[in-house]
This record gives sequence, structure tokens and C-alpha cells, in this order.
Amino acid sequence: MMTHPSRRDSLRTLACGFGSLALHGLAAQAHAKSGPPAPRTSHHPARAKRIIFLFMSGGVSHVDSFDHKPRLTRENGQMRQFGDLRSLAKTGTSPEMRVMKPLWDFRQHGESGLWASDLFPEMAKHADDLCVIRSMHTEGIAHGPATLFLHTGSTNFIRPSMGSWIHYGLGSENENLPGFISLSPALGNGGPRNYGNAFLPAVHQGTPIGRAGIPARESTIRNLKPLRPSDQARRQFELLRELNQAQIQTKPGETELEAVAESYELAWRMQTAAPDVLDLSGESPATLSLYGIGQAPTDNFGRQCLLARRLCEAGVRFIQVNYADNSNNPAWDQHSNLPKHGDHAKAVDKPVAGLLEDLKQRGLLDDTIVWWGGEFGRTPYAEKNGTGRDHNPAGFTIWLAGGGFQPGLAYGATDDYGHHAVVDKVHMHDLHATLLHALGLDHERLTFRHAGRDFRLTDVYGKVVPDLFA
Amino acid sequence: MPVLQSLLPFLLIIGTATAAPNETGIAFFETKIRPLLAGHCLECHSTAGKTRGGLNLDSRQGWVTGGDSGPAVIPGDPDASLLIKAVRYHDLTLQMPEDGKLPEAEITALETWVRLGAPDPRTTTVSAKKQTGLSLDEGRKFWSYAPLRPPAARPVQNQAWPWTELDHLLLGAAEKAGFLPAPDAPPETLARRLHLNLTGLPPSPTEIDRFVAAAREDRKTAIATLVDELLASRHFGEHWARLWLDMARFAESSGGGRTLLFKDAWRYRDYVIESLNADRPLDQFIREQIAGDLLPAADPAARRRQTVATAFLALGPTNYEEQDKQQLRFDIIDEQLDTIGRALLGQTLGCARCHDHKFDPIPQRDYYALAGILASTRTLFNYTDNVARWIDTPLPLDGPAEAALQAHQTKVEELKHRLQTAKAALTKRTRPVSVGSLAGIVIDDPEAKVVGNWQHSTFSRGYIGSGYLHDGNEGKGTKTITFTPSFPQMGRYEARLAYNHAETRARRVRVTVLHADGEETVFVDQTVPPPIDGRFVSLGTYRFEKDGAGFILIGNAETDGVVTVDALQLLPEDGAAPAPESNAADALVRALEAELKQLVKTGPVRPVAMSVQDAQDPSGTPIRIRGIEKNRGETIPRGFLQVIDHGPARISEAGSGRRELADWIAGRENPLTSRVLVNRVWARLFGSGIVPTVDNFGTTGDKPSDPELLDHLALRFLEDGWSLKRLVRGIVLSRAWQTSAQGSTPPEFFVRAQRRRLDAEQLRDAILLTGGRLQLDYLGPNIQGAGGIDANNTSAQNVEYAYVYADTRRSVYTPAFRNNRLEMFAAFDFADINASIGRRHSSTVAPQALFLLNHPFVLEHARAAAESTRALAPPEQLDSAFRRTLGRPPLPPERAACQRFLGPSPSTEDWAQLHQMLFASLDFRYVD
Repeated sequence: MMTHPSRRDSLRTLACGFGSLALHGLAAQAHAKSGPPAPRTSHHPARAKRIIFLFMSGGVSHVDSFDHKPRLTRENGQMRQFGDLRSLAKTGTSPEMRVMKPLWDFRQHGESGLWASDLFPEMAKHADDLCVIRSMHTEGIAHGPATLFLHTGSTNFIRPSMGSWIHYGLGSENENLPGFISLSPALGNGGPRNYGNAFLPAVHQGTPIGRAGIPARESTIRNLKPLRPSDQARRQFELLRELNQAQIQTKPGETELEAVAESYELAWRMQTAAPDVLDLSGESPATLSLYGIGQAPTDNFGRQCLLARRLCEAGVRFIQVNYADNSNNPAWDQHSNLPKHGDHAKAVDKPVAGLLEDLKQRGLLDDTIVWWGGEFGRTPYAEKNGTGRDHNPAGFTIWLAGGGFQPGLAYGATDDYGHHAVVDKVHMHDLHATLLHALGLDHERLTFRHAGRDFRLTDVYGKVVPDLFA
Repeated sequence: MPVLQSLLPFLLIIGTATAAPNETGIAFFETKIRPLLAGHCLECHSTAGKTRGGLNLDSRQGWVTGGDSGPAVIPGDPDASLLIKAVRYHDLTLQMPEDGKLPEAEITALETWVRLGAPDPRTTTVSAKKQTGLSLDEGRKFWSYAPLRPPAARPVQNQAWPWTELDHLLLGAAEKAGFLPAPDAPPETLARRLHLNLTGLPPSPTEIDRFVAAAREDRKTAIATLVDELLASRHFGEHWARLWLDMARFAESSGGGRTLLFKDAWRYRDYVIESLNADRPLDQFIREQIAGDLLPAADPAARRRQTVATAFLALGPTNYEEQDKQQLRFDIIDEQLDTIGRALLGQTLGCARCHDHKFDPIPQRDYYALAGILASTRTLFNYTDNVARWIDTPLPLDGPAEAALQAHQTKVEELKHRLQTAKAALTKRTRPVSVGSLAGIVIDDPEAKVVGNWQHSTFSRGYIGSGYLHDGNEGKGTKTITFTPSFPQMGRYEARLAYNHAETRARRVRVTVLHADGEETVFVDQTVPPPIDGRFVSLGTYRFEKDGAGFILIGNAETDGVVTVDALQLLPEDGAAPAPESNAADALVRALEAELKQLVKTGPVRPVAMSVQDAQDPSGTPIRIRGIEKNRGETIPRGFLQVIDHGPARISEAGSGRRELADWIAGRENPLTSRVLVNRVWARLFGSGIVPTVDNFGTTGDKPSDPELLDHLALRFLEDGWSLKRLVRGIVLSRAWQTSAQGSTPPEFFVRAQRRRLDAEQLRDAILLTGGRLQLDYLGPNIQGAGGIDANNTSAQNVEYAYVYADTRRSVYTPAFRNNRLEMFAAFDFADINASIGRRHSSTVAPQALFLLNHPFVLEHARAAAESTRALAPPEQLDSAFRRTLGRPPLPPERAACQRFLGPSPSTEDWAQLHQMLFASLDFRYVD
């Protein structure tokens, strides 16, 4: 005999909803009915509990930042056949391209001797904290497909975001906050799909705070603040309680109605708890200055990074900090004017370094993974022989810090020009698998049954890269 | 060369290796190849491991049979062996091992081994278990694929209870399991239930009173009368369209990567609403959406309707910017098949894209038989645009309007011809002008970034500033000039290029404009005089960001003459037009341009519809091995699912096959379509389906709780000519549907009503209606600012990004943007419209509560409702507030609480707060 899903499920859903994820993994358990039993706790011992993803939308040039290729300087200006991926995808042929040297000088840093350019001098000071992957490759030559691939593991199909998968797998640690938050996400290049739950239950959807283009100081969780004075809001809330109580009494035994009534109680509690977390005013001047808050180029991203640390302390599972805008040529997308990379670097370098420093000081870096990177890298040659670089999904660099990843490691390599990853290649699927592994989740077992089959973040691909772990 | 030396002995035995590998060959395998395979390959390619791509390399048989792409090794022929191709790493789509190229010595060893005839002593082989679904014969016996069968009569004990045949079946099943039907619902409850289920809107107190009075006289007649009234209401189509629009993943923008505005998608929404209101038979309705463009049309109205209907295939979340356009074509086909499969057939066709369906009787061939039909259909305008676009088909108008439109078009053509003649007469400029004398932002050539050897010249005198540059007709493909203007503020600017024309100049100079919304390529013919003032040619008007990355790049690649570049001018779109350099020829051009602009602006415009067309070369499509577009296998003739086989598929060679596909889907012989449809309607009326997984009628879906009931409904539906209204009427006039929600009879017997939450649209409409602000305009477009925009222009997306939802029309007309949803829809489980939705989630999360407690929309309409309440005489106020919101007077404890809250002399604000809490209360959010 079949059972009616809505009542029991909604009560369970509520028990682990937006406001009340009291227990790890309950979120997953609540929907066990529609899929195989998801883990209540992790599949294996976890190295990390949460992720902060610093998303550099548009694609940072790896050959100007962390992937040192002296050959580009030596052969600057020479025409070469590179096999340009965009030309090949569109026409099947590729014209010769002009080699373009990095615009920033490279030098070695720290005890690890990590190569980094002067583009990110502050991050470079953390050379011995970083686990740099220089052999990334991914899918999608245009921003939209590549950005969706980064977030959902698919360029084209409608799939849950990795934050939703992680929340589905592990739940959240704070009953008064959402477990998956995206700070200032863009409307373009995938928009809400980048933090969407797709076919996973709605409780796993990402909660946006702010939006690209809106100053971080004005960003908050929607509808969190009562529009009426607090005494009136309280009186009104008391009335709602009485109405709901009277209505429930005429329909005894309806657990779903009780769950909805309870959701108002949770919302009421959130109104007081959540704003405290979002409020930066209690932070010391030293901390604010560490993130570059109050200084012109760094104020906005600094606020986002500091908020990320506060959310991290409050037990949010997946926090994405977006350096993005709503255009089709987002942020780091320097097709024509590579020197503009310098402006973006000025905006993010200090806040990112400040975040690492702050997490370290507070002992949070041990069980928090910080992931810095874009959806792809950029070509080692000039686009259309101009003064910028085109997209390059075949080889690029990202870095990880904390969360049990090996500090001071430079893993993998691209070819002599920095065009294709060739040594110890790490596909985006592999990175997803590795991040899940660090959180104690097996990417092959974190599945959800939908439309007749089991889905995974990594589809049928992905390999954990054990060498990245300390 | 140590490697070669060690290989030398083995190279001598090539001649005999293939037939019978001798000891030396085996030794080579054992020393060189076996460790290599074990170290790099077997983790992913062995029967004990993962068998990735279907390939095992742990036995000779493994590579002889090969994986999904065929044999991995052709003994003796390294160049023909996929394994060698993969390790050589030359082909971007086939590179193994995945994590990096092997050392050259190991690649050479593998090549040598293959050349030797691939000696391999490993004969022990365990055949890999391949999971396969039901066979076609087994499948035809499975409940959903089997033909419809009429149910046997069911005996019932309580003969007085059933009113209809449906009631007999339901009561029979319930009694057999020992359950009783719930009592009849009271008329007040039934009034609200009927209104909300049939029109999506709650009834007014007057409507309730009228119905309750009539029901006291004669319950059955009162109900039948109300049902017919509601079925005849325009609101029926507006509400029930939701069912279809959800299935069709209806949206007004593409979403995803670079979201594009579907400016004309509203025509499809209106088509659905009108069709349901006209009770167009659903088989015809389906045929029109799959193949409307191919069906005969009696008149222009029918042609319009049928063209608009095919938007069903074009409305998907297409990633138009995908750079590999063949991949994009295939992605679109996948999406169309997924939607058709789920929405109309209840099948998970996507499972058969990469391999035979693992559970259902759907071989991979069937997927590609269907894909061939869609591959023979055009959904994209072309396969060359950087950002692709859909097909806008012009729509015919009715007689006189069509004649007027054609007359107007002739006039426009004539005027364009005169303008062209006038432009040809423009004289060549002979005097230089200074940069400062020109309007807007002007960048002279010395300020541009120059790559390659360009020569400066002042030979032809009509230049701007200091002269102009030319490429000397040399070094084609190596020279570029880039203008990187700095814009004082974000805005739309017209970009104009000044060049120096002559017969010796290049005919097709490629100019690339990178603007805030993408990239445009414009070709300039420098053999003709610049049309604007004899100096400039317009490159178009684009949006540029302040300090953005925008640039204009001129290259000399693929040019057949001298390329010249003089200057670039950028004029703000809303600025005053610069004064022309006057002479008679200029003046004539200006006058004709103005006249043309006016004529185009005031004349009639031909409407267009998003649509699909048949391709010119219909044919079957190859299997894509493992679903990878470039990995092509056998070509499969077009056809349908073999498990629903009524005779061999006869698809005409001339057409795409969509017409035949439409007939196959909407034919009486296809038991899936009618079962899926009646189950969807049932689920919408009862709260859950007879088959709870409304989108999945395969073996992984739920089984019907009562298969005979489902078939009864489907057969009745066919007898009734696929009429939705008759189907709905038949269900709601059953006694079972009219029961109360009280009691404990399990819901799957459907003899006790299920309490259900209002969905996002019902909730929004009900709040607007109670506040007195709901606008009831029927049909028509509803995106502010979309009217004059070229939807295939990427800047149209700014309409979506900057959209302020301000209208108060019914929610079915709310702009359905994929990347910028109405906040209320996003909060109340209607966020994602990227894929076909069979059943919405119903979540209970705090953001919903926060929305009702704090969102200005709720406060505003609560205030509006409060104003109406305050206008009444004080003794009527509280009862009226409750009746208008909840459809009933207050319960005693509610009355007491409200009176305490209001106090002796409540203000409008007090009433507003009370009304808002009524909107938040449980009884408002649920229908009993």
C-alpha cells in the first residue's frame, strides 16, 4: 500500500528546513523516500567541515598569475599554431596566434618556493598556505556553459549546484541560518542555476545574499527585517499564532498544518538571530583593516570576505563569495585590455589574503576549505592578435587552502606555453570529487534518484586526487 | 638509444606475430606491456574495476571486443588502433590516461606491441555483466505499455452512495479494503474548492451565498450548474493553462548562460489558454505543438495558431552561446526529447541517450530513431552565429490587414531603393577636418593600439585629424588596429568608423565590436564612399560600460585590397544628432532617411512567432556512442519507441517526420499518452495521481494504485474526443471528489478529499483579489519594455535583469524569466522553470513565512483590503474581512483574538495588520 507523502515529508522537511537544520544530514534523510537513503553522517572521516569558494568570474589569466611560463616572454610576439579551441569549435580550423608575454613579473615565494606573479602580491605572501593546482581543465569555451559546469558539473543539463549537493549530503550546523549561501551572485552566466537545487528538494537551494552590482554593505537575506516597529510586529505575530491555533483545532491530526505553523516560529527566531551574523559593526578596526574594509578598491570584496568568515563561524556549510557582475563579459574577462586584470587584482588580493590570515588566527582554516578560482583560464596568446587573452578551458590554475589540503604544494603542470594541462591533469569533475572527499562524502555514493535514475554531481566521471591531501 | 636497442629483437618477428605470437612476443608483452597496463589503465578498464566506456584491458578479449567506440586495438596497425590514438594525445576528444600523457618510451612500446600483432596471452575472461532493461516483449506486457482495458464491474455494498461510474469503482476498492468514504463536504467548503480548482480564484462572499442557497434547494443541480458556469469562464483556461505550461517548461527567456528574452513566447501562452477555453481536443492540441507548421490550415487564423504552437519545441533553456554549434544542435534535440518524453509519454527517454535504458524497454536505437526526427527539424536560425538564435516565423494576417501590411512593405522597399541611389551620389570629401570639430567621442588613428606594420598617410585629403593608416595591402592576417575608448558613463553609443575609400580598397574589412552585451562582427566595404557625411560608416549601436572592457578592432585578415583606418567616433544614443556637413546630396540623404524612419515607425509591423521548421535534408541520425556528440556510430532510421509499436514506422522521405511523430503520440493506439494525460488531470484535482510519479510511467516509477480506474478514465477520455472539459467535469461531479477532508480513510482510495496548499500563483492571485487590485485583462503580452526590442539582440537581456515586477494581472501572465524570477514564485516552490514540471515541490521553509510576514507586496495589499473593510459599517467589518479572505465568518476563538487585537477603535493600520495575518493564516493558504 502506498502512503501519502506530503504530510510526513513536510514535517520532516521543516525539521531540517531553512531555519532549523538541527542535525547533520537530516535534510537528506527527510527525502529518503524519493531516493536511496542519503548519508546521515559522512561516508568516511572528514578532513573539513565547510567550504568557502571565492569565485573569480570571467576567468583569471593563469599565465599572468600562478603559472610561470618563461617561454612566453622569450617568444613574445611570434606567430604560432596553437589550435585555438574557440576557432576549432566553431570552424574546425585555427589560424596562427601571436604569443603574448605575461604582463606581471614572476618570482618565487615562501619556503615552498611557489612561483607567483606580482599581480597578487598579498596572496603570494601566503604561498606556504596554498595548495595550487596548475593542471586544471574543464568543459565549456563560453562563460555560460563553463560557469554552469563549474557549479553543477554540466554545461547544458539542469543539475543541482555543488553547494546543494553538499548540503543534501551533510545538512547544516546552524538552526537559524541557511546552510548554503551565495554572496552577491550574478544574474548572468547561469544566474540562479549556479546556486539552484534543480531536482533536489527545495530545502537544499542556495540562499542569495545581495546580488552582483549591489554594494555588499546593502546586502541581506530577503524579507528578514520587519517593516513595522518591533512592538507592533510582536502583537501582530501573537494574533497570527492565535488564528493558526484556532484553525488547527478544527482539523485535528494534520501534522502538515502544524509544520506550517511552526515555520512562522522559525522565521520569527531568524529575524533576531540572522541579522547579528550579517552585522560587521562589532568587528575590531584591526580586523576591518586586515580585509581592506574602509579602503577604496578593497572595501566591497573585503566586506564579502569578512561576512564569509562570520558565516563560516556560524556553521554555514557552503559559502560562495562572488567577484562577479551581470554582464556577458564578467569581471576578469579581459579580451582586449589585459592590464585591467590589475584593477581586479587590487580589489580582491588584500581581502583574500586577509581572509586566509583571519581564518588561520581563529583556527578555522583547519577544517575550512578555501577555494579560489574562476570557470577557466586564459590563452597564452593574444586574442585576434590584439591586446587581451581569450578563454582557455584546456589548462588553468586554481588554489585550495586549509581543510587538510597540503600547504605549499604546486600540483600538476601545463605545457610550455600554459595552453593545455599535460601533467597530473585535474578535471573539474575530479576537483568536485576531491572536494566532496575532503568533506567525508564519496562522490559515487552521493546520489539522488530522479526521473528514473540516480544522479551525481560528477555524473559518471571524476576521480579523487589523493596527492593533494596533506 | 637504449629503448630502440632493447626493442630490436622484437621488431624482427613481425611477420609471424599475428597468427601465433611466439615466445618472444609474449616476453615483450610480459616485460613491457603488462606492467604498463596494470600501472596506467586497469584501474578504470578492467572487469574487476570500473569498465569505463565499456572497455576492459585485462584480457585479450577485452580489447578485441573493445568498448563503446569499438575495438581498442587492431593488431598490426597502430594508426588504426584507438588505444594508440588515445595515448598519443593528439586528438583533443580522446586522450588517455586521463591524468596525463605517458612518457614517450611507453607510448613507443605500445606502438611496437600493436605492430607486433599485439601478442597477449591473457585468455581468462569474465564477461562483464551489463544491466539491461525489459525486453520489448516483456515491455509490451508491462502495465503502462499494454493496451487500455475496460474495468470489470465492481460490486459495492452501499448502493446508495455512488452517483457515477467513477464512484462505483472507487467505492468498490475502498470497501474491499475495509474503508468508508468521508462524508459530503459542506457547501461553503465545496464552493471554495470548486472555484479554486476550476478557475484558480477564490469565490466572493456573494458567490458563496448564492451557491449555498441553491445547494440547500438541490445540491446536485446546484453543483452541476456551478461547474458548467466555471468551465465556461475565461478563468478556466487561465488556471488550467498552468498544467500545460509547467509541462512545456514555458518561459519568456532562455536562462542559463547568456539569457535571451523570448519576446514572443506570450503568443504560445495565449495559444494554450485559448485552446483550453475552446476545449480544443487534446490530441489536436498535441499535434499542433509537435507539427503545427506542417498541418493544413483553413485560414490565416489557423495558420497563425499552428505556427505559434510549435514554440513548444523552441522554448527550452538553450545555451545559445555554446561555441560548438553541432554540440548545441544535439543539446537542443536532447532537451526536446526529454520534454516530449516526460510531458507527453511519462518516459525517461534521457536514460537511453548513452546506452540502452537500464530499466525500461527502450533501446538506445529508439532514442536515436526519435532524435533523427528532431535532427531533421531546424530549431536554430543558423549554425554560424557566435550567439545562436531561434527561428522567428512571420505570421500571416487576416485579409484586409494582410493587404495593408504588404502595401506598406512595398513602400518601404521603394524608399530604401531611392535612399541607396542618393547615397551613391554623395561626393568625395577633399578637406581634412579636426578631431575637435566632430561630435561625441572621437579617437584619431594615432591613439589606437597598432599591431603590425601600418603606414601613415595624408595622401587622400578627406581625412580626420592627422591623417589615416593603411596596411599597404601586405601582411594579411598579421595586422590589427584596436580602439579602446573610455566612456564617461555607461550607456548606448553608436560606433562609427572613418575610412578612406577607393577602388583599390578592401571589400570585406572585418571589424569586431566587443561591447557590454557581447561581441558583434561587422564587415565594411571600403570601395564605396562612407555613407555618413562621406566620412563614416555606422558599426551599429551598442551598450558600453563605464571603464568597461569594450573595444573596436579592425583586422586585415582575409582582405582583398588596401585596408584603411582613419578614426573612430562614438555618439551617445540619446544625444542630439550631429549636424551634417551640408550640401545638396547630403540633404537629400538626410531627408530620405528621416522619411524612411518615420514610415517604418508608423506603419504596421508583421507579428512573428518562435517556431521550428523542417530541415532541408531530412534523414536518420547516427547513434552517439556514450551520448558524446562527436562519437558517432551506426545511423538509425527515423522511428518511434518500438515498445509502442503499431506497425512499421512510415516516415516520409521528404519531411522531418514530426507529422508522423505527432500522429504516433496523439493516436488512440498509444496507451501512454492518454494514461499520462488523465493521470495529470486527476492529480491536479485530487492532489495526487493514480500513478503518483506523474512524469514516470516506466518501471522505475510508481505503479498505479488502481490500474483499472486509470484505464477507465483513459477510455472515457478517448470516447469523449480528448476533451479536457468533459474529463474535468466527469471527475468533479463524482461524489468522491465532493467528500470532506475529515476522517482517516487513506488518500489513495480517493474517497476522502485531500487538503491542499495554494500554489504560488493561486496565493498571489488571491491576495490581489482580496485587496481589490487584481486586473482581469485577458491574454496579450505583459513584459514591460519588451515591445520595441529586437529579441535576438543580446542586449534584450537587460529587460530581464533590470525588471521590476509591478503589474497586478493574474499570475499566469507574470513575465516568466528563467534567471530573474518573481520573488514570490521563487519562495513558494515555483523557482525553476528550466525543465518540464509534472508536480511541483511543496516545501515548508522559513523564507515563505518571512515573505508573508515582511514583504511589501503582502503589506500593500493587506492595506488595500483594510480600506475596503473600513468603508463598511462597524458591526459588519470583522465578518466581511474573514468572508472576503477565508470564505467563512470567524470561529469563536478567532473572533475573540481579533477583537482583543483591534481594541475599541481600530485604525486602518490595525485593520491592515489584521488582514495581513489573515493572508498568513493556515486557512488562507489551504483549500479544503
